[in-house]
Amino acid sequence: MSAATLATEPVVPIIDHKQPDSFAVETRGLTKRFGKRVAVDELDLRIPTGSVSGFVGQNGAGKTTTIRMLLGLVRATSGTGTVLGHPLGHSRAYLPRVGALIEGPTFYPALSGRENLMVLARLGGLRKERVDAALERVGLGGRGLDPFRTYSLGMRQRLGIAAALLPGPELLVLDEPTNGLDPHGIAEIRAMLRSFADEGMTVFVSSHLLAEIQQICEHLVVIETGRLLFQGGVDELLAARAPEMIVRTENLDDARRLLLLVKGTGRGARIVSENGSTSLEIAADCSWAGDLNRLAMANGITLVHLAERRSTLEEAFFEITRKDVKDNIGRGDLHRGAGGLGRRAGLLGEKGRQR
Amino acid sequence: MIWRSFASEWVKMRRRRLWYGTYGAITGVVVLTTIVTIAGALHHPDARGALTLAQLAHASGLSQGLTQSGVLLGAVSFSVAAFQFGGEFSHGTLRNLLVRQPRRSVLLTGKCLAVLTFLVGAVAVATVFGICTAFVMAHLRGIPTSAWTSGVGMGDLGTLLGDLAISTCGFAIVGMIAGVLLRSSVIAVAAGLAVLLPIETIITNAVPETARWLLAQQLEAIAQGGSTTVPFGAAVATVSAYLVGAILITMFVFVRRDVTA
Repeated sequence: MSAATLATEPVVPIIDHKQPDSFAVETRGLTKRFGKRVAVDELDLRIPTGSVSGFVGQNGAGKTTTIRMLLGLVRATSGTGTVLGHPLGHSRAYLPRVGALIEGPTFYPALSGRENLMVLARLGGLRKERVDAALERVGLGGRGLDPFRTYSLGMRQRLGIAAALLPGPELLVLDEPTNGLDPHGIAEIRAMLRSFADEGMTVFVSSHLLAEIQQICEHLVVIETGRLLFQGGVDELLAARAPEMIVRTENLDDARRLLLLVKGTGRGARIVSENGSTSLEIAADCSWAGDLNRLAMANGITLVHLAERRSTLEEAFFEITRKDVKDNIGRGDLHRGAGGLGRRAGLLGEKGRQR
Repeated sequence: MIWRSFASEWVKMRRRRLWYGTYGAITGVVVLTTIVTIAGALHHPDARGALTLAQLAHASGLSQGLTQSGVLLGAVSFSVAAFQFGGEFSHGTLRNLLVRQPRRSVLLTGKCLAVLTFLVGAVAVATVFGICTAFVMAHLRGIPTSAWTSGVGMGDLGTLLGDLAISTCGFAIVGMIAGVLLRSSVIAVAAGLAVLLPIETIITNAVPETARWLLAQQLEAIAQGGSTTVPFGAAVATVSAYLVGAILITMFVFVRRDVTA
């Protein structure tokens, strides 16, 4: 069975992903209802052991509720699952090996950073040396005795991560660890997460910052309104989205002529005007650049710019979460008939019908 | 496991402001009540049966000031406990605690024991200051104190200290229950104090028989070693029944309820 999984939405890319050896987190049909509202809906989650996994979705998509269920804070309405090999209902069996930062760092304002960690260390039966080590690890060794209320947002986030590191966790669950941080702070957290992964921890991190997720995560879970839209490798998701070539000609007439020539080869193409500049987007990767150049030259068209454009995670995310985009997948001009979205939509339709 | 929770809570409660605030408030209540009680004692009995200097000279005179402070000590204890427990929800710190200690009943029990020891300690410290104040006031008003230091006087003082500790713990447990059920320190303190003090007083004044059933009246009676309307034993039995029931309900709710704060 493929680790890359698709939810019931038939229009979402099916991504093949190599089956990992084991999963740190695995759920089946995990559901949480608050009254009539379904916060998490039949979620089949699989987080490969030792991976850095991103957890993305819009506000209210059910990320935090899912994390709370994994941590035993919220009881699942239905569904099953395991964390580090133990059933979800027995959180006391796995939580000693889990570190978590849930919905931002919350601590006692009047206590120092060190005292706040001591509260948690005592509760978990951990030695106080771990507190000092955790503070050093996140770069708060020199500020550990200052009251939490005097900490900057970045320091608070780092203290939250220090608290998560206290038990020496095998699984680190971080909910929006870069929320509100400046670029410098984000870079620090990113480096920190990478170093945790290098040490063999499984890191499961939710974030709105898709560029960050793209940089630090190799595995991705996307949910919307509580339902799984995609899970699998980040690279595979990006690779499945067809690359485009961006071409600029000397004038608009040449662009229009080239559009017809490209379409004549069976490839998708369209003219895009952005910021006063007109360019041609062609559904092809750079291996076709030579053919394109020859085609243009043979017809007296001079290309003034030719580049390949790889899609970003942000684009892929919007593609699979925006209803209007999903509805139009397969009908767009650009990739119609020549692979890309059109081809994938067809594949998805098949897979979707199989489910 | 309970010990870990107890020790963890004590890390929080060691902060100076909490110490100064709680111990200062409880000591202040006891000292002030002692001063007012002894300063207001009459030379001769009046029709209302007010305390006289002669009565204060008895072995039980030393503890008269402390006896009067029961409800106020209770109010402070209630507020501290409600704040400690409700604050975990208000601050959002409960989720951190539950990740490190998923056994919720163990967490709650350890925290509760820590708060109770903190408050009983405060009562003990306040008693020492109350005794010192009583001796100073006795000297100022010319009250003989030889009976206070007799065996009977010390026995009375010990009994009163025990009664005050029970009453304080009762108020604190009610505060804990309010904090956990209402999930907000501000709402728990405001609602709890409103019910325990003015509302119960109004009800008791309107229907005196209710004094035998209302919680704060029972706890006050315990602090005083029993009153004319509520005997000590009956008050202890009633309060015990109330608290056991309330603790079971609170524990059930706390263990079962989703933590979304």
